[in-house]
Amino acid sequence: MKHFANFSKVVAAGALAVAMSSAAMAADGLNFPNLTYRTGPFAGTGTPIMNGQRDYMLMLNERDGGIGGVPVDYIECETGYNTNKGVECYEKTKGDALVTQPWSTGITLQVMPRTNVDRIPILAPGYGFSPMSDGNTFAWAFNPPVSYWDGAYMILDYIAKGDMSSLKGKKIVLLHLDHPFGKEPIPLLQKLSEMHGFELVPVPVGLKEMQNQSAQWLQIRRERPDNVVMWGWGAMNAGAITEAVKTRYPIENFIGIWWSGSDADLQNVGAKAKGYKSISFNVPGNYPVMDDIRKHVVSKGKSHVKSDADLDTVFYQRGIILSLYLAEAAKTAQEHFGVKNINPEQLRWGLENLNITEARLEELGMKGMTPPLQMGCDNHTGHAGAWMLEWNGEEFVRVSDMLKPDRELIKPLELEKAAEYAKNNAPWPGRGDLACN
Amino acid sequence: MFYRTSGQFKTTYESDQALFPIKQDMFLLVVILAIMYAIFPMFASEFTYKALLVPVLIYSLASLGLNILTGYAGQLSLGTAGFMGVGAYACYKITTIFPEMNIIIALFLSGFFSAAVGVAFGLPSLRIKGFYLAIATLASQFFLVWLFEKWAWLYNYNASGAIEVRTMDIFGLVVTGPTASPMVQYYFVLGIVSVVTFAMINVTRGRYGRTWKAVRDMDIAAELVGINLMRAKLSAFAVSSYIVGIAGALMVFFWKGAAEPNLFDIPMSFQIVFIAIIGGLGSVMGNFLGAILIVALPVVLGLLPELLGLTIGSATMEHVNVMVVGSLIIMFLIVEPHGLARFWALIREKLIIWPFPH
Repeated sequence: MKHFANFSKVVAAGALAVAMSSAAMAADGLNFPNLTYRTGPFAGTGTPIMNGQRDYMLMLNERDGGIGGVPVDYIECETGYNTNKGVECYEKTKGDALVTQPWSTGITLQVMPRTNVDRIPILAPGYGFSPMSDGNTFAWAFNPPVSYWDGAYMILDYIAKGDMSSLKGKKIVLLHLDHPFGKEPIPLLQKLSEMHGFELVPVPVGLKEMQNQSAQWLQIRRERPDNVVMWGWGAMNAGAITEAVKTRYPIENFIGIWWSGSDADLQNVGAKAKGYKSISFNVPGNYPVMDDIRKHVVSKGKSHVKSDADLDTVFYQRGIILSLYLAEAAKTAQEHFGVKNINPEQLRWGLENLNITEARLEELGMKGMTPPLQMGCDNHTGHAGAWMLEWNGEEFVRVSDMLKPDRELIKPLELEKAAEYAKNNAPWPGRGDLACN
Repeated sequence: MFYRTSGQFKTTYESDQALFPIKQDMFLLVVILAIMYAIFPMFASEFTYKALLVPVLIYSLASLGLNILTGYAGQLSLGTAGFMGVGAYACYKITTIFPEMNIIIALFLSGFFSAAVGVAFGLPSLRIKGFYLAIATLASQFFLVWLFEKWAWLYNYNASGAIEVRTMDIFGLVVTGPTASPMVQYYFVLGIVSVVTFAMINVTRGRYGRTWKAVRDMDIAAELVGINLMRAKLSAFAVSSYIVGIAGALMVFFWKGAAEPNLFDIPMSFQIVFIAIIGGLGSVMGNFLGAILIVALPVVLGLLPELLGLTIGSATMEHVNVMVVGSLIIMFLIVEPHGLARFWALIREKLIIWPFPH
């Protein structure tokens, strides 16, 4: 009955041989794998970020010969945002990897417990989940420069023009993806709504309804909210903006999280979406660093970008910022330990002690592109701050001063949820034997 | 030559009906099991366990469950992933409510929950069949994923909305959670898959299997010869969902370590249907062949360019991969519409009479 497996074994044995020989590929630079999603349903938003991340690392290799003289071995492993592929990619790349960048909440959740055992830092910039900020629980996980709870606070702060009590009696709709990522801001927003007396109406958008949100916008029209805050991703953003234009919702009262601010989502509606806002920890523009990337990467034909205009988009430049964190952390670690070829544990120290000052940003030709960032042992996020960007019909422009989260308010909630996570995943190692500095 | 059957005389009914009427089959199985249990663990890397061996076993098990229902009992189902989810969430709840419970017991208990849900959604099969039933099971798929998202009690009001697996051990040996060794998890999954497969081979050969096949081939005729259709159909739903539920629990506890509700969405149901169809409906071994083609082949293909020293972008490789696997599926279905299991059966037949043609 089971003679079938004869066949299967031949195939599997071949697979085995292949799998094992692949482990033999050794790297001689700083091995930074990235679990990309240039394919699949979210490729539209993933590709520009991945391009930015890649091009910054390539630029460092071309211009400075890498980081501290060691070239960066930048590897991509394609997941298509699929969690099964995520496990595969993590296992495939972890051998020589100094870091893992899982790029999806689902993959992050699967991989995070393993990184404690494999002792590889996990870098989830701008995503991950908010309690990750507590470095004493999540010793190996980092999500600079701001968490979703910080983002929710800063958006409300912007709506309230700095005076939260002015929100009293207002009605705010949270249009969110019905998925762990989209539900993330709800605990904080609920807390704020109790504190400041505004009404919060969460309107979920199912993964299958992303492109057709007529039911949700009918509800929004009935509710007549003062503001709509969006926690969207992928096709949901373009869907929501199109519906908002169609239902004539006053678009200037519509604000998205940083993943809902891709130029590509707005280009279809163009001028009709003028006034749409998105909070962002990077401001697109012409910075000196962009010239270096043009000179060393794009003009040499090494980049994946299709046209020069792609280099000015918010998401491409955000990719650059995300690679900046990794590169600076590696540099911090190299300087502290006095070794060029750092190991994952040293990179972890570098991330924990990352301090990107205003002066350093200027030196890198990135002044004003992103807020200065300082992380710490109990602060794996940095909580640097962000700006509000507005769509002027053609591109995103900055319309606010830097917004800052209220840490006094958010931190207790983070500690509470971090402790809960540790309890659910008991025995959770926590900081363990890792020295703080 | 390799499959010479001459000299193997059957002198009793028992020997004629034995599991392995031909000695070579038994011999092959022993070799395969030896490879699975002894040879692989000697060489396999963590990557091989996590990306190839364990997923293939788990998907095979899920497909075996579906095959009981669709291949043996003829009831179309598109809700497999939903039932896997029921198994996974049931196992999660059982292990959090009774933290002391042995994971093996929790695993086999959780199967009963998915079996119950499967029977409930199998009720329409008493009135409708074919495509209409497929739509009814599709409804269960939508409903269950919605339930996993909305019913916060199921994931213990977790902030992430996902279920996470804590570390558990059996008599001191860590089997789940991040510290569990992939080899231990592999042995665990392999053991369970072997036990269930052995049980199912015998169930499908026995009274229930024959009842199911009778219903599949012509339900009115089956009813006329005295088969209770309700019992036959619902038992198929129960057994099928039980196995599928265990596969779902294994997937989350012994492979992924965490799961979001949308893991159990339609794409996985379709993937399992593909495995069952390409492997061969109404066959046990087909599930394993199908899983190797659908689950393992893309992983191996993804490794090829690096092995050959080619530099192809990871994303490009992913596109190539989809194209290659897709065309292979079409090719296999054209060459042998009854699936890979039938393909092997033909090869075996030819080997038995070799070197003489018909």
